[in-house]
Amino acid sequence: MKLYCLSGHPTLPCNVLKFKSTTIMLDCGLDTTSVLNFLPLPLVHSPRLSKLPGWISKDGSINLEKELKECAGRVFVDAQPEFCLPERELLDLSTIDVILISNYHCMMALPYITEHTGFTGTVYATEPTLQIGRLLMEELVNFMERVPKAQAATCWKNKEVQRMLPGPLKDAVDVWTWKRCYSMQEVNSALSKVQLVGYSQKVELFGAVQISPLSSGYSLGSSNWIIQSHHEKVSYVSGSSLLTTHPQPMDQSSLKNSDVLILTGLTQMPTANPDGMLGEFCSNLAMTIRAGGNVLVPCYSSGVIYDLLECLYQFIESASLGTTPFYFISPVANSSLEFSQIFAEWLCHNKQTKVYLPEPPFPHAELIQTNKLKHYPSIHGDFSSEFRQPCVVFTGHPSLRFGDVVHFMELWGKSNLNTVIFTEPDFSYLDALAPYQPLAMKCVYCPIDTRLNFHQVSKLLKEVQPLNVVCPEQYTQPPVTQSHRSDLMLELQPPPMPYRRCSVLSLPFRRRYERVYILPELANSLVPSEVKAGVSVATVSAVLHSKDNKHTLQSVPKPPPVAPSKKRKRVIEEPPVTLSPKPLLSGAVPLEAFLATLQKHGITEVKVEETAEGHILHLQAEDTLIQLEEDGTHIVCDNNEPLRTTLRDLVLRFLQKL
Amino acid sequence: MDRECVLILPRVCEVLAASGSSLPDDTSLEKLLDWFTTITQTGVSLLEACPCLRDFLSNVAFNSTSGPSILSFTLKLAGLIGASEDGFKVLEECSVLGLVFDPRHWQEAGLWEDPCLRIGWIQGLKTILQHSKALRFFVQAGLVEPLLHLQTDSSLFVASAANQMLAHVLLLCESLSSVGCNGTKERDLEQNSLSMETNQNCSGVITKALEYLNKCLVLKETSQLSQSQQILKLLTQLLVQVRTPLLDKLLLTVIDSVEELVTKSCSQLTLPLMDVVLAANSRLSDDHDPKQRIGRLLSLMLSRNYPVDVIQAAAAWLRSRQYDPVHTAHCARVLLLPLDIVTGISLLDENSTAEELRILMTEQLKSKTCFSMICVCLTNIPQITLLAPDCLPCPQRRIVSAVLSLLKLCCGDTSSSSAGCVGVFRFVTGSSKVQKCSMEALSALSKSPEVEILLPEVFKLLTEYLNSPSSDPSVLQKSYQALINWIGVCTDLSCITGLLREDLIQAVRKRACDMRWEARDSTVEFLGHLAEVQSCRTSAGEERQPSNSLLGGCSFTVPLLKEALQDLESYVRASSISALGQTLTFSWQQGAALTQDQVEIVTRLQEILSQDSEGFARRAVVKYFIAWFSSCSSPTSCSLLVQSVPTVLSQGVADLDWEVKLHTLELAELLLDQAFPDPAPPHPYAVMSDQSHRSHTQDKESELLSSLNSLVDWGVISALFCFLVDCDRPVALKACQLLLKLRHTVCPLMVSAADTRVPCELPGWSWVHEIRKIQGVNKDPHTQGGSHIGSEARGEAVEESTSAEGDSVCVSVCEVLRSLDLDERLSILTQSSDHIYNSPLSLLQDIITASTANSHPNSEPGQEVIVDCY
Repeated sequence: MKLYCLSGHPTLPCNVLKFKSTTIMLDCGLDTTSVLNFLPLPLVHSPRLSKLPGWISKDGSINLEKELKECAGRVFVDAQPEFCLPERELLDLSTIDVILISNYHCMMALPYITEHTGFTGTVYATEPTLQIGRLLMEELVNFMERVPKAQAATCWKNKEVQRMLPGPLKDAVDVWTWKRCYSMQEVNSALSKVQLVGYSQKVELFGAVQISPLSSGYSLGSSNWIIQSHHEKVSYVSGSSLLTTHPQPMDQSSLKNSDVLILTGLTQMPTANPDGMLGEFCSNLAMTIRAGGNVLVPCYSSGVIYDLLECLYQFIESASLGTTPFYFISPVANSSLEFSQIFAEWLCHNKQTKVYLPEPPFPHAELIQTNKLKHYPSIHGDFSSEFRQPCVVFTGHPSLRFGDVVHFMELWGKSNLNTVIFTEPDFSYLDALAPYQPLAMKCVYCPIDTRLNFHQVSKLLKEVQPLNVVCPEQYTQPPVTQSHRSDLMLELQPPPMPYRRCSVLSLPFRRRYERVYILPELANSLVPSEVKAGVSVATVSAVLHSKDNKHTLQSVPKPPPVAPSKKRKRVIEEPPVTLSPKPLLSGAVPLEAFLATLQKHGITEVKVEETAEGHILHLQAEDTLIQLEEDGTHIVCDNNEPLRTTLRDLVLRFLQKL
Repeated sequence: MDRECVLILPRVCEVLAASGSSLPDDTSLEKLLDWFTTITQTGVSLLEACPCLRDFLSNVAFNSTSGPSILSFTLKLAGLIGASEDGFKVLEECSVLGLVFDPRHWQEAGLWEDPCLRIGWIQGLKTILQHSKALRFFVQAGLVEPLLHLQTDSSLFVASAANQMLAHVLLLCESLSSVGCNGTKERDLEQNSLSMETNQNCSGVITKALEYLNKCLVLKETSQLSQSQQILKLLTQLLVQVRTPLLDKLLLTVIDSVEELVTKSCSQLTLPLMDVVLAANSRLSDDHDPKQRIGRLLSLMLSRNYPVDVIQAAAAWLRSRQYDPVHTAHCARVLLLPLDIVTGISLLDENSTAEELRILMTEQLKSKTCFSMICVCLTNIPQITLLAPDCLPCPQRRIVSAVLSLLKLCCGDTSSSSAGCVGVFRFVTGSSKVQKCSMEALSALSKSPEVEILLPEVFKLLTEYLNSPSSDPSVLQKSYQALINWIGVCTDLSCITGLLREDLIQAVRKRACDMRWEARDSTVEFLGHLAEVQSCRTSAGEERQPSNSLLGGCSFTVPLLKEALQDLESYVRASSISALGQTLTFSWQQGAALTQDQVEIVTRLQEILSQDSEGFARRAVVKYFIAWFSSCSSPTSCSLLVQSVPTVLSQGVADLDWEVKLHTLELAELLLDQAFPDPAPPHPYAVMSDQSHRSHTQDKESELLSSLNSLVDWGVISALFCFLVDCDRPVALKACQLLLKLRHTVCPLMVSAADTRVPCELPGWSWVHEIRKIQGVNKDPHTQGGSHIGSEARGEAVEESTSAEGDSVCVSVCEVLRSLDLDERLSILTQSSDHIYNSPLSLLQDIITASTANSHPNSEPGQEVIVDCY
């Protein structure tokens, strides 16, 4: 059993598991942090961005004026942003049988895997994961295509050139593999390969393994996966949460008794408590609004935003923010808000029960009804006529490189009354803000990451007790900045197996058993005999039939009755002679009793020699050796067949026959 | 004693004796007993006053068909009667005594099992044991053994009562034998022999009790832990109460067993053992023989190798405030040790604490027990700060540094404790319990000498806590308190840099918008407290208020607090109103002109007073005006205040919350005091001519008249009249007291009647009805033609208002004051509201009624209220 690790990002994993002749890809997350090296894509012409000076090396030897621009001491690539894809050289992607998706954040690289690679398998995901994942992909494509950039920057990727570049660009890895965003067509094609599954539904893969998604409590439709054969069980834990937010709670008990547990997607903010951050978010928001400023919340169009809106719904009244408008701007805003309301079966119990009442599960419906929350596909169109300040705007993309958020950063960045509040933990907020410097706007960082923290995960592992744990190497040591915090790492016995990008791990357990079915008529013919209390043994002669990874023992076909034909038959057509098998022996030969028996039969001169495995009996008169070992007995005598037979029969007396 | 009660009592006794089962309400028996006790306390002999009790006692005693609660009552009653020597004699004569206090009698009847009866037995005996005759009876009847047996009774109540009883017996023996010893020569032979017998009895009881104690102390198995704890508690009680000869005897008897317990080191017994040792230590003077042994035990307790126990013992020593430089210094070191280990800041001098304890404690701190050890250490820091410098292993400044370092650890910052114990970090990180205790310790340390230099560091840390998103509301509150304490002791705030100040402003601003109302509440309270902190000096040497130099003063605070007036949570609204009062007090005292903000605040406060659904906010509003009025240098010259006070008074009168009404009365009192200031005492040698006296009186009268008129204008008088008939007794009482005060001031001087009538308008006829009720005249005022208060002879105190309002009444203040019998009213109001229901007569009647209801065949047995009242 092997694990190929195609992504080094612990929360955006992409691993391939080879297990019992199946090749299973676990998630295909897209590392989008690479876009931080690019200039933002403004929706409206930005004089500031267009006037940025081009970059020329200090000695003037390298001139990349057209590709690289300088802003506030940092250099950015002036081209359409590109993403860092999962590793594609480590194994042939066309050999992948299935892809299991655990949540909508972990499927953004799907088109890169399923398209143009010869992939012919199936993708499994829950319905909300598919639908919301589609929304996020659509949004991403929309963000990119709305602001087309003809120019592609490639010169800076030249190894020699890159070496000379300043700052983070110099250290960026695998820049040649970075790719521009996929198209809508590719998204559609990739998503057409998705097959929907429900929690705890069991799907057979080629008869070899069974896969089953479990609720993971992190987002709508998010799942962990169980991959099991009859005798082995692998659990795949991706983004999971034990907090009570909107999704169905995490199913922990089904993870018990795993041989291997692959652990990814722990919180990226182990020291930030989500509740505290939510409080921080609300108080900073209220503080800004009271002072007459605007609040910008760069966020994804699904996920934490539902909880933020729910929290604000309760907070608005107490903070007397009743009249402040809240805007949610995203090409998929409407679908996201509406979808969330219809996935009742995927919601937490509390929200499920609301489905039977005449009220929607999420309170954002009421915010929309009362006109407190308004949503628009973009800043163009209706929004411009409705726009009122001071206000709160939720919009993407959290990297601040594309999407409507770029416009608001340009618009509000100059006033210190305004605040930008970062709630998504995926990007370093300082890096995100770099191309907007100098910035007068206040910045507040309250990353809300509801995924498991180290305390919760160690409790979980204590409960489910997997034999082996595999995890990204980042989880096996404390964070670099807090090297003394031994509580911010996984401490397990045996220690977890770490992986990094491009690792190939042989998982430390060997398959010992295989299930074989036996047909009823064959079973009927067996004659079991009890070897010790409760254990019976029978011999079986059968034909092993293997098909679709299922093994069946069938009766040996009887030779057809010999036709009373006088015709000569060719030798090969004669049915094989089925010899009745020799009986199987079991038991041990007791030394003392055996010697006594030998004596009875007139063999008196016996020299007993003790060896590591048992005993060697030297019958000196007969010049014969009997080796008595735990798993075998050998009689060595030259050309004395009668003696050998006698001795054999004496040995057989002490053994049981089947 | 009430005649009626005497008449009814025999019937009650009959009922009680006859009721086979207990009464539905046990408390009535308790009340009855209380009543009897008060009778005996007045010096009246109970049997003389109520001869029927004797029959009752013998009836119940010989009959024993009564329920346990009646029997228990009987035992206690017997004790009460026997407490006097005469009563004792009577009981002895009718042979009730031996019977009721004989445990075997009750055991045979199968009633001893009931804890209620055992309690009755103990309490009855305890009451009776007041004189030597009772003691003789106690000894002769062999009651010592059963009493000792009850010391570890299965019922906690019984065991505890038995403990107290034993202490009582020993103290009685002690006092009786000391009287015997001091017997004078004149006493006759009989008395001498009597006292000899008493002495014998006493010493017998004492010996038995001490032997018992000694035997029980030794812990045989761990299952008897609670028994040992009980006995140790008893021992502590005795050690505190008994005097020298007995004290020595007691100590000599038990000290070996105590020592054995100490060496056994059982964690659960640490605290009770420490109590015993401390009690013994404090009672013994240095020349006492056992003192040294006790000292040794104390040293033993304080140097055990169980960190948790030794910390508890050290804390107990410091709390006991006993002085012994060696022990105190040792305890301070033990208590500081966890802090030393965790933070790595060395607080202890080299070699001062046994290295072994340090190693053991370091190990213990790496487990979950670290919480309790660290918290005990922190909660005792206030005691440590009080110690003399020579008892401390380090300057207090270092302790402050260690606490700061611990607080940093709690939020995951280990930069300042690189030498600390890494194993503890994972426990203390994010622990709000440790954070709270540390904050309290930090507050206490603010008063330490020479710590001012640490103010910037403390300030920085507290601001970080206030800013931190993970701070629990209770931690925030403690942080604010600590900040106030530290700012309060520092005379110079110039060390607080602009950056730190900016951070604090940010934090306060943010917390004022916090999601959790507790955090908002603490923030608002903090602003109020900060305004009250004494002014301090800036670097330039000028005096400034801390709230000005830290937060920028009212221009920052007032808008925040104004915003908080709109808060959804009533506690926050109330706190913000009080904080506004505290903030503005300074400007009121200075007589500064009102700002637009203040005008708006007053409008908003009046809205709150008239509309807010929660009492807290409304109470705070009235208090705000009280504060304003009392701190204002000249209230009458502030037109806004003059305008708003009548509104506040009238709304206060209409309020439903009795505390709002009471505060309104406080405001009224302020106005009264201002109108009639206490006259300066006349110069003793001043000569006053008749002429000047007369003119003086006239002046005074006109002055009074104008004051009274102004009071009427403010609305004070009508408020007082309305409150007088208020349904809430405390309100009516206070109003009555104020009206009496007014009458004393006004009426004697205003005799000339008619032309000095001061009219006052009252809100409605309902008031007249109430007044009539008070005076017991129930006539409809409308049918009277005119409307009068009280009897016609009292004159026209009340006239129907001529105005078209119809429902308001106009009265003459002085006449109403005279016509109302305020003194009578006061005496009625001073009695508690249930005085009628609580009278002995009503109690006796209740018992009779209950019994008839009980005997009624239709009564429902399910409605019995069984009160577990021993």
